[in-house]
Amino acid sequence: MTVSTDQHKEGKRDVTFRVFRFNPQVDSKSYFDDYTIPVERGITVLRALNYIKEHVDASVSFRAFCQAGICGSCGMRVNGISMLACTTQVWDMLAKSKEEGVIKVEPLRNLPLIKDLIVDMDPLVDKMKHYSNWVDSTMPESEMGKKEFLVSEEEFLKYDKATDCILCASCVSECSILRANKEYVSPAVLLKSYRMNVDTRDSMHDLRLAELVKDHGVWDCTHCYRCQESCVKSIPIMDAIHGIREDALESRGMKDTSGAKHAEAFMSDIEKKGKLVEATLPFRTNGVLWTMQNLLPMAVKMILKRRTPPPPPMVKPSKGIKAFRSEFREMSEHVKQDHKSHKK
Amino acid sequence: MKPFDIVIVGGGGAGLYAAMEAMKTNPALNIAVLSKVYPNRSHTSAAQGGANAALANKAKDDTVEMHIFDTIKGSDYLADQDAVEVLCSEAPKIIRELENIGTPWSRLDDNTIAQRPFGGAGRPRCCYCADKTGHTILQTLYEQCLKKGVIFFNEYFALNLSVNGSRSKGLIAMNMKTGAVEAFPARTVIFATGGYAKMYWNRSSNAAGNTGDGQAIAYRAGIPLKDMEFVQFHPTGLRKSGLLVTEGARGEGGYLLNKDGERFMSRYAPEKMELGPRDLVSRSLETEILQGRGFDSPAGKYIHLDLTHLGADLIKSRLPQIREMAMNFEGVDPILEPIPVRPTAHYSMGGIDTDNYGRTVMEGVYAAGESACVSVHGANRLGGNSLLDILVFGRIAGHTAALEARKFEPAAISEDEVKDQLAELRSSMQPSGHYERYGELREELGQTMAANVGIYRESSLLKKGIAEVAELKERFKKVRVSDSSDVFNTNLLQVLELKNMLDLAETVAAGAFAREESRGSHTRTDFPTRDDEKWHKHTMATLIDGHVKLGEKPVTMGRYELQERTY
Repeated sequence: MTVSTDQHKEGKRDVTFRVFRFNPQVDSKSYFDDYTIPVERGITVLRALNYIKEHVDASVSFRAFCQAGICGSCGMRVNGISMLACTTQVWDMLAKSKEEGVIKVEPLRNLPLIKDLIVDMDPLVDKMKHYSNWVDSTMPESEMGKKEFLVSEEEFLKYDKATDCILCASCVSECSILRANKEYVSPAVLLKSYRMNVDTRDSMHDLRLAELVKDHGVWDCTHCYRCQESCVKSIPIMDAIHGIREDALESRGMKDTSGAKHAEAFMSDIEKKGKLVEATLPFRTNGVLWTMQNLLPMAVKMILKRRTPPPPPMVKPSKGIKAFRSEFREMSEHVKQDHKSHKK
Repeated sequence: MKPFDIVIVGGGGAGLYAAMEAMKTNPALNIAVLSKVYPNRSHTSAAQGGANAALANKAKDDTVEMHIFDTIKGSDYLADQDAVEVLCSEAPKIIRELENIGTPWSRLDDNTIAQRPFGGAGRPRCCYCADKTGHTILQTLYEQCLKKGVIFFNEYFALNLSVNGSRSKGLIAMNMKTGAVEAFPARTVIFATGGYAKMYWNRSSNAAGNTGDGQAIAYRAGIPLKDMEFVQFHPTGLRKSGLLVTEGARGEGGYLLNKDGERFMSRYAPEKMELGPRDLVSRSLETEILQGRGFDSPAGKYIHLDLTHLGADLIKSRLPQIREMAMNFEGVDPILEPIPVRPTAHYSMGGIDTDNYGRTVMEGVYAAGESACVSVHGANRLGGNSLLDILVFGRIAGHTAALEARKFEPAAISEDEVKDQLAELRSSMQPSGHYERYGELREELGQTMAANVGIYRESSLLKKGIAEVAELKERFKKVRVSDSSDVFNTNLLQVLELKNMLDLAETVAAGAFAREESRGSHTRTDFPTRDDEKWHKHTMATLIDGHVKLGEKPVTMGRYELQERTY
C-alpha cells in the first residue's frame, strides 16, 4: 500500500514537481516546467497538481474526476512509473526520487499525446471494440429481464478480479510490446477479453479467441510482467494472458498459429535438451520458407555486425538431463490435472 | 451536421441505459451520446453499495410492495407515489436484465444474485458486486453500448440548449480536444448529467465534475428545477477528503462510535441502529460532533466507523475498496483501527422536473438519473435506490425519446448561434482590470454552502448563504481564464463548471430558505417539525429575468397516507 512509514518524519516541506509540458498549438517539442510548492505529509500527487493549477499556473493540463481511485482518469507517470495521481502519496514518491526533493510527472506512454499530461484514449477504445470486449449473451434479447442465469461462486471467481479493471491505461503505458508495436492488442484488452471468455453467459468465446490468436494478439506478449507490476488494482493480468494462451492451445486446438508453434517448439526443446535450440527455433515457429525470406537476412546481418553471436548448430543436452526430464514430465502431468479439475 | 434523432448528454448509468434502450426500441434512429469524460469515467463508477430490487433471493418474503413503502417512507412522503411504483416494480426486471448482459453480481449459495441489508429497508434487498457495484454496472453498460455501435462524442462539454419558443432545436457543445464550439441539431435531447452536490466542494463525496451541468443548462433554458433544497449528506465521508465509505460497511456490521466509545445510534434509532436512514444517521453524527462527543484533529472533528470486529477475511472479501481508500486517504487500515468519518454532501434529490416518462415541460427535452427529479426520492433517498433510479429511468427516458423522436420536425441550428456562443466564451476568458481566481471562488462556494445551507439550516444562516452566493456570482464575472489554449483547456472547463454550480447554488439556497419545515434531508432548527399542511408539496425553481422564481407542485399520493416517520 502507498502509506509511507517513518522515512520522512517532517510534516511539511517544499517539493519541486517537474511537469512535462506540450501544447500542440504553440510548441514544436515538449519541455519540462518546475513548480516548487509547499506540500504537507499525506497529500496525493493529484492534490499537488490541483494546487499548482489553482495557485501557480492554470495552464497545466491533466485529467482528473473522482479523485478516489475508481474512475481511472488521472493515470500518468510519476517518477517514470505509470500510476494514478489521486492514490499516490507525494511522500512515497519523494522516497523514490532520483533527484532529492524533485518529483517528475509525465504523460502515459504508448498512447498519442494531446497536451501536457493528457493522452488520447481512443486507440484503447478501438481495440476494445476490435476484440469484442463485451458479453454477447446466450440469452435472446426478448427473454431478458425474466430470469437470472445461475452462476456458481467458482464461475464467478474466474472473472471477479478481472472486473476490477478501471481502464486507467497504466498497463498500456508500461507495456514493452506496445512501445515497439502500437497495433498490439495491449494488456488491458487481453484482460478484458479473458474476462469475457471465461464468463459462462457469453456466447462468442470462439470468435473472440480466433481474433486474439491472430497477428498483434495474445502471442506477442513477452512476459515482461510490467503490466501486472504497474496495475493500480493489483490485478494478475499475466494470469489472464496465460489463461487465453492455454485456452487457445489446450481446449480449442488452435495450434496453427506461429505463437502456438513457438510455444510448442519451446516445450519440446526443454524436454529434449533442457535448453533452447536457438538456430532452428525460428524455422519451427514460422516455417522454413517464411524464415528464410524474412528472418534469415536480418540474422546474418546481425551476426556480421556482431549484434548477436552465431547460434551453435548442435546443442547438447544439459547436464543432469535425465533427472530433469522426469521432473519435467511430473510437472506437465500436474498442470494437466490442474486444468481438468479447473474445468469441472 | 446531420440532425440526430436523440442526443444524450452524459455517459453514466442513466445516459448509457438510455442509449442502449433507444437503440433497442428503434435501431434505425440516429443516436449520439455526448459526455465531458470518457463514459467509463462517469461517477456511476463510484457507487459502491448496490441497487435495490425485491428479487426475494435473500429474504424470501420480500415484495415489491414493501420496497415501495420503504421508499415512500424514506422520502418523508415527498416522493410521488406513482413514480415510486414504477421504480420498484421495474427493479427486479432491470437487475435481471443487467445480469443477463454480463454484470458480475456477487452470488448467494444457491447461485442467485446476492442481496444485503441497507439503510431504511425492511428486507435485505440491495443487490451488489462486492463494493464495486456501480463500477461493474457502468462497465457492463459501456461494453454493451460499444457492442451496439452507439456513437460517442467523448470529452465534449455541453454549453446550452438551442431553443425556439417552447421547442428545443438541439444542443451546443464544446469539443475539448480542439476547443471548437459545435452544434448538435437534434429532435430530442436527454439530460443524464448526474448530480450537483459538488457545489459543497471539499465537503462533498462527489467527483470534481458533478457540477450539475445539465440542470444548469435546463434552468437557463427556462425549464423548472424541482426540490433543489434537498441535498443528502452521507453519514460516513472520510474526514480529510470527504470521500465516501459505503453504507455497505455498516450493512456488513460496522459500528459508529463517539469518543466515549459509545454506539450512539442507540439514542437516535434504537431499532435500526447504524442502519437507520441516511438523513437521520447524518444528523446524529453532526449532533454528536456539535455536542462535543466527536474526536478532534487538525483536519476537523470526526466520529469513528469501527469495522475491526468484522475480521480481516470479511473486510478483505466484501469491502476491499473501502480498505484501500482508508489506507490511501487516511492512513488507516480498517482491519486494525477504526476509520475517521464525518458527514459529506453526497447526493442531490432535486433536479430537472420530469414526468414518469422522463419528459420535461419543454418539447423534445428529457432528463433521467440524478440530474432529474421525477420524484422517487422525495426529501431523502434510500441507499441502493440511486443506482436503481438511473437504470430504471434512464431506460424509460431512452425508450420514450425513441418512440417520440420522429414526431418532432428536425430543426437547424444557425451558424450565427454557434458563433455567438464562441464569442461569449472568448469574452469571458479575458476580463480586463482586477480579476478573480476561480479556485478561490469555488472553495468559498463550498464553504458557504456547507456552513449556511448544510445539514442544520436556519433563517439567518440561509439569508447569509443567499447573500454570499449572490456576491460570488458577481465576483465570477471577473474570473480570468489564464490558459489561452484551444486544445484541452481544462482551465476554461473548470470555470464553466463553476458557473453552473453558482447558478444552481442559488436555487438550493432559495428553496431551503422558503421551505419553513424540517423534512428528510432538509432540517431547519427554526422549524424543527414536518409541516404537511403548508409544505407537503414540491418546490419549483424557474429562472425568470435572471433571477430564481419559486413555485410549487402538488405531491402525487397513492395508497399510502401521510404518517410520522420513525425508525
